[in-house]
Amino acid sequence: MATILVADDDESFRVYLVTILKQAGHTVLEAEDGQSAMERFAASPVDLIITDIFMPKMDGIDLLSALLMDRPQTRVIAISGGYKAMSSQLTLEMARSFGAMDIITKPFQAATVLQKVTQALESE
Amino acid sequence: MNAHAEYQELTDQQKLIDMRQELEGGFQTVIRHYQAGILHRPEKIRQAVRDNDAERVSMESHSMKSVCRQVGLMNMGEMAARLETIGNAGDLSGAEELIERLIASSVTANHELTRFCTGMELPKPFFSRAAHDE
Repeated sequence: MATILVADDDESFRVYLVTILKQAGHTVLEAEDGQSAMERFAASPVDLIITDIFMPKMDGIDLLSALLMDRPQTRVIAISGGYKAMSSQLTLEMARSFGAMDIITKPFQAATVLQKVTQALESE
Repeated sequence: MNAHAEYQELTDQQKLIDMRQELEGGFQTVIRHYQAGILHRPEKIRQAVRDNDAERVSMESHSMKSVCRQVGLMNMGEMAARLETIGNAGDLSGAEELIERLIASSVTANHELTRFCTGMELPKPFFSRAAHDE
């Protein structure tokens, strides 16, 4: 089982993701924005990060950029419901271009999350 | 329209049924967090509208949209999406009426979510908010 950091400013989504992942046997850390996620990751590196894209202080794209510049092997899954003129798909494709290894569109199902987490953890 | 007809906010119950199956014992805890967001976030949007803060209207409405869609409140998700668009445009004309509708819907939605979680049947047939307003 892995240690996973979940970054989302919305508490309900954070609790949902944490519950899914803990039920699957993972150890889960939480962050409410990109800045907190960076701090948590610096203090204790994890196997995988699941991050929302649009968050206050530091958004998911900035988090991705900072993380992957420092530790290029970091596994990141981006999650979003789209924002402003960007559809969720366009937003998440942007996240992929910044280095996210997979993407999840809100709303999502637990099975989708777990499947993508397993794939990410099994990847080299 | 029948005066006793009820519209229903929880228009996609399958999302909750799936969630309940997937989360099992964790469902009640998770749904309580969603209910809290559905009840309290519209007030944050209203305050942002009163402060004429379009950026905040957009951000809060964006979150509200995602929360609503996750638990099957599709009409409310659409209202929040419209508020997000209004916020993005920077002109908050029309936002006040929409936010009042969203607040009214959030109270109904909260009752419906509670009914669903306690196994009570929701009223049928139902009408969408859009149909109800016509």
